[in-house]
Amino acid sequence: MSRVVIWSFLIACFFGLSAPSVVIAADTVCIECHGGQPGSLGVPVADWRTSIHSENGVSCHDCHGGDPTDFAMAMSPEKGFLGAPEYTDVPAFCGRCHVGVSDAYQAGAHGQAIESGGAQCVVCHGNHAIQKANLDLINEEACSQCHTYERAALIRLSLVETDTMVAKVEHDLDRLYRLGFAVDDMQGTLFSQRNLFHQIFHGVDVERVRAETADIQAELSKVGTKVAAIDSTVGQRKLWGSVVIALFVLAGVIFLLVRKAYEEEEKG
Amino acid sequence: MTTQVTPPQRRKFLFIMLAGIGALIGAASAWPVFRFLSPSDAGSGSDQVLMPRSDVVAGKAHFFQYRGKPAVVLQPTPGVFVALSAVCTHLGCVVAWQEQAGEFLCPCHGGRFSAEGIVLGGPPPKPLESLAVLLDGDQLKIG
Amino acid sequence: MQPIKMLVDYIDVRLGVRDLYTKELNGYLLPRNVNAWYTLGAVIVVLFILQILSGILLLMFYVPDAEKAFTSVQYIVNEVPFGWLFRMLHAIGANVIVIALLLHMLSVLFMGSYKGRREFTWLSGFIIFNLTMGLCLTGYLLPWSQLSFWATTVATDAAGAIPVVGDYLVEFLRGGPTVGNQTLGRFFALHVVGMPLILLGLIGVHLFCVKRRGISSPPFGAEYSGNESLPFFEHEKHPGGIPFFPNYFVKDTAVICFFIAFMLAIIFYAPGLFFPESAFQPADPFLTPPHIKPEWYFLWAYQTLKIFPSEIIGLGVQGLFMTFLALLPFIDRGPERRPGKRPLFVTCYVLGILIFVAISVWGHYS
Repeated sequence: MSRVVIWSFLIACFFGLSAPSVVIAADTVCIECHGGQPGSLGVPVADWRTSIHSENGVSCHDCHGGDPTDFAMAMSPEKGFLGAPEYTDVPAFCGRCHVGVSDAYQAGAHGQAIESGGAQCVVCHGNHAIQKANLDLINEEACSQCHTYERAALIRLSLVETDTMVAKVEHDLDRLYRLGFAVDDMQGTLFSQRNLFHQIFHGVDVERVRAETADIQAELSKVGTKVAAIDSTVGQRKLWGSVVIALFVLAGVIFLLVRKAYEEEEKG
Repeated sequence: MTTQVTPPQRRKFLFIMLAGIGALIGAASAWPVFRFLSPSDAGSGSDQVLMPRSDVVAGKAHFFQYRGKPAVVLQPTPGVFVALSAVCTHLGCVVAWQEQAGEFLCPCHGGRFSAEGIVLGGPPPKPLESLAVLLDGDQLKIG
Repeated sequence: MQPIKMLVDYIDVRLGVRDLYTKELNGYLLPRNVNAWYTLGAVIVVLFILQILSGILLLMFYVPDAEKAFTSVQYIVNEVPFGWLFRMLHAIGANVIVIALLLHMLSVLFMGSYKGRREFTWLSGFIIFNLTMGLCLTGYLLPWSQLSFWATTVATDAAGAIPVVGDYLVEFLRGGPTVGNQTLGRFFALHVVGMPLILLGLIGVHLFCVKRRGISSPPFGAEYSGNESLPFFEHEKHPGGIPFFPNYFVKDTAVICFFIAFMLAIIFYAPGLFFPESAFQPADPFLTPPHIKPEWYFLWAYQTLKIFPSEIIGLGVQGLFMTFLALLPFIDRGPERRPGKRPLFVTCYVLGILIFVAISVWGHYS
C-alpha cells in the first residue's frame, strides 16, 4: 500500500524541480570579455543590461556584427564586425531594424541636416542604455542642444493627445487579454497605428503631424469602441453573476434557518 | 414575542421561499447550458452559393453544401442548369448520380429520381426539392 | 397529493423505497453534537459533480491536438455562448475542490476522526486527494498554453532525479523525449476517462467505509466518550441522534450553497486569480517564459525540492512525509481524540499548517 502512496505522491509532486528561468539573450563572448573590462570598454555592457534592447533579447552582435561565439575572431571584419558607426552613419545603423522610422527621419529636417550636425538617433534616444521611447524625450534640455525649443514644443503638444490614446488602448487591450478575450485583431491595428504614429513625427513637421494623426486617432477610437463593447459585456456578466451569487447566499441562509427550526425541535 | 409560530410552520414558509429561489437558480443554470448547446449559426451558410460555371460539366453532377445540407447542380443539356437538394425525400440519404442512366439513385432503398428531381420509382413520396439557378456570365448563382 | 402518493406506492411496492428512506436517510442518525465541518464531504461530492458536468460541456468543443488545442479553448472562451462560464467553472472549480479537500482533511485530523478503526476510510480519502492532484496536473496541460506546456515539462522532468530509471521514466511519462502531442494525448485520456473513473470508484469505497463503520462523533463537549476496542466489528451507532435527512441534510445544502457562491464570486470578481499571464500565450517549445510557478497547491513541493541540496533527497523527504500522512491511523493508535488531551499532536498540527503556508509563500516569492 505504501508503495502506491509513494507513487501517487510522486505524480503529485512532479512539479518539483527548480524552474529554469532562461536568460533570453544568452551570454556571448562579447559580454564575457567586455563585461569585465574597466572604463569605456566595459561601460556599454552595464548600460546595455538596463536597456529595452537587453529586455527584448537584442544583444551586442545584433547591432555591431561579428561572431559572438568565437573569442579569437569575434571582432574581425571578416566575421561582419562593424564596430562603432560614424556620426552620420548612425541612422542607417539603427535603421536596419527600425525601418519605417528611419525612412521618415531621413526625409525630415533632422535627417536632411545630418551632414551639418543635424540630430541623429542617439542624440535623443541615447545608445547602449536605450529605453522604451516616450514623449519625455522631447524636452527643452535635449532640443536646446541644437535649436530653440519653440517648434519642438509645438510638435510635442500635437503628439500628446494621440500618445495618450495609444497608451490607453495598450492598457485596455492588455487588461482584456489577461481576462482571456481574443484581442489579436485589435492588437494588430494598435501595432500598425502606433508604428505609423512614430514614423510620422520622426519627420519633425508640425503640419504633417497634425494632418495625419487625425486618421490614426480615428483608427484607435474604432478599437476603443470594440473595447467598450467588451467592457459592457463584462459588466453585464458581473451584474447577472452578482444576482446568482446573491441567490445562492440567500438560499444558504434560509437553509440555515431551516436547520435552526429543526434544532429547536431536537432540543424540545 | 408576538404570536407563537411553531418550527414546522416556520419550515413550511422557509421551504416555499427555497422552492422559489431554487426555481430561479435552476433557470439561471439551465439557460447557459441551453445556449451552449444551441446549434451555431456558422453551419447554416449563406442563402446564395456562387460557383464558376466550369465546375459543372455537361452530363455530370456537382455536389455542394447549400444552407448546411447537401445539394447538387447538373447540366443535363448544354447551357441548361438544374439545382436540386441531394437529400432523398424518403429517409434522408444522399442520392447518387448515375451518369449512364442520367438519373439519381438513392443507395438506401433504391429510390430513383430524374435529372429534374421527379420520382421515377421506389419509396420516395415527393420529388427532390428544386433550387433556383441563375447564370451570370461565368458564374452560377444558386438559391 | 393523491397522484404523488400513488406514484410512491407504485415504486415502494417494487423497490421498498419507504423502508430505505426510514432506515438509511431518516433513520440514519448522526451524533447530537455534529458540527459544520461534517458538511465538507457533501460539498466535495457536489463540486465533483459540477466538474463532471462542466467537463462534459467543454469536451464538446475541445480538440486534444497540439496544433488545435489552444485555439479550441480560445474558441470556447470567445465564441461559444457561455463557453467562458463553463471554462471558468471548470478551472476555478478545480481550485475550490482542492480548498475543500484540504479543509476536510484538516478537520478530520484535528478531530481525530481517523481513529477508531477507520484506517480504510482515511486511506481511501487520502488516495482521493492524491488522485485529485493528478487530475489537476493532467488538466493543466490541456489548454496547451505556455503555462501548461512548461508546467508539465518541469513536472515530468522531476522524475529524472530518480536513480537509474529516471531518464527513461521522464520519457515514458511524456511519451517522447519532450512534451508534445503524445503527452497531450495521454494526459487527455487520463484526465477525461481514466482518472475520473478511478475517482468515482474511490469515492464509492470512501462513502461505503464511512457508512459501514458509522460516523464518528466530534471529540468535544460532555457527550464525548472514548472508543473502546472490541475484538469484533461493530457499527458505531448514535442512538437518540439527529436524523441525517432532512434535519442535517439542510445544513449540508446550506454549506454547499455558500461554497458555490464563493466559487462564483471568484469567477465574476477575480477571474484572473488563478491565471498568470503565460496561461494566455500559446505553447512555444522554444521559449521558456520567465518566472513560471506551479499552482498554489504544488508550491510547497516545488519549494521543498529547492531547499534540499539534491532533488532525490527532496523527493525522498516528500515521499516520506506523504507516506507518514497516508499511514497516520496505523501509526497513531492511541484512543484519545480530544485535542485538549493531545498536546503533542496539536502542536505538530499547528506547526505543520504554518510550515505548509510559509513554504508555499516562500515558493511563491522565490
